[in-house]
Amino acid sequence: MTDKRTPAERVAQLRLDERNAARRRNLLVVAAVVAVIAVLVAVGLVVQGKRDNTGAPASMTPTGVTADYGVVVGKKDAAHTVVIYEDFQCPICNEFEKVTSAKVQAAIKAGDITVEYRMVSFLDRVSKNAYSSRAANAALAVLHVAGPSAFQKFHTTLFENQPEEGTAGPENSTLIDDAVKAGADRGKVSKLINEGAYDDWVTNATDAMSQHGVSGTPTAFIDGKVAGKNPADTIEALLKLIG
Amino acid sequence: MSSWIGLVARLVVGTVWVVAGALKLPDPAATVRAVRAYQLLPEAIVPTVGHLLPLVEVALGLCLLAGLLTRVAGTVSTLLLLAFVVGIAAAWARGLQIECGCFGGGGAAALDADPTAAYPWDIARDLALAAASAWLVVRPRTRLALDSLLLAPLPQPERPAR
Repeated sequence: MTDKRTPAERVAQLRLDERNAARRRNLLVVAAVVAVIAVLVAVGLVVQGKRDNTGAPASMTPTGVTADYGVVVGKKDAAHTVVIYEDFQCPICNEFEKVTSAKVQAAIKAGDITVEYRMVSFLDRVSKNAYSSRAANAALAVLHVAGPSAFQKFHTTLFENQPEEGTAGPENSTLIDDAVKAGADRGKVSKLINEGAYDDWVTNATDAMSQHGVSGTPTAFIDGKVAGKNPADTIEALLKLIG
Repeated sequence: MSSWIGLVARLVVGTVWVVAGALKLPDPAATVRAVRAYQLLPEAIVPTVGHLLPLVEVALGLCLLAGLLTRVAGTVSTLLLLAFVVGIAAAWARGLQIECGCFGGGGAAALDADPTAAYPWDIARDLALAAASAWLVVRPRTRLALDSLLLAPLPQPERPAR
């Protein structure tokens, strides 16, 4: 069989073959590198999964909490139920507490409302010494040792002592002193605070907030309905309720 | 000239990916909550996506910085950024008040007066980065890239003489 192609066509064919060969080789290199990266990412995925213990049963659960990771303060037959999501390191929660706290406590005492505090912790990243999670743990320790009214007292203190973002908050020794002032037994509460006994529980509480579709703090629900679109509205709605 | 523009695009986009991913790696639970907050993905895959995302971001960023598989990395980068834009726009349109979680955190915000104020900026940033990534898909040959050591240049096909 004779080759009827012109010399120019033969050169063109040669170049095309060369190009295809180079392209095949490049594709192999790309596939090999992609495979190596995929293996590394897969290993990383396993490691990240192991490091995230969200959802695993908490090692310890404080007494007196609800199934929704809340702490109920007030009488059972009160006319209205208020649910409040807060982080002890959240500045606007602190504003919220400053404006509403006294009236809320009075309304609880009068039997007008019960409040379910759902304390969460996602703001350790703006604290130099993990105030967000340590404060939440300490508050639950006080609840466990001394009950809801001591919890509420301590809750107020923790907000009063909230550190500025990016700074260090009170150390555990200070938290223990304040817990004792709120009515907790020193021996019992100091162990729970120093051990971070409820850290897992707080992690799960924070995840539960996210699963409930609550994306920020402070968020409040009055009788099951979201109170206000932003913190200012929330304060207004709550003050209107207990005015 | 275009190979120098490509180098700049690689370095800028690559740095952003590495930083964004590295900030998320220490707290996998927070990234899971951030993914969930967009309310776009089924709960069954939310934890896996949350764990995977920072790893993909770091890998993508390192590839871009090194100039490794530039065209593939540019494609993945463009698609991922456009997905983020869709996510943020969807959150905005539905009136969700979330932090984008672009650089860690997210999933929950310490609310202020207008939590949605950041959305336009987040979207503008991601679109600019997507444009730079798309450039690398079109012009993947860049300066100071590992690709030039690994991949053979493709000879141009000869045009038949007329």
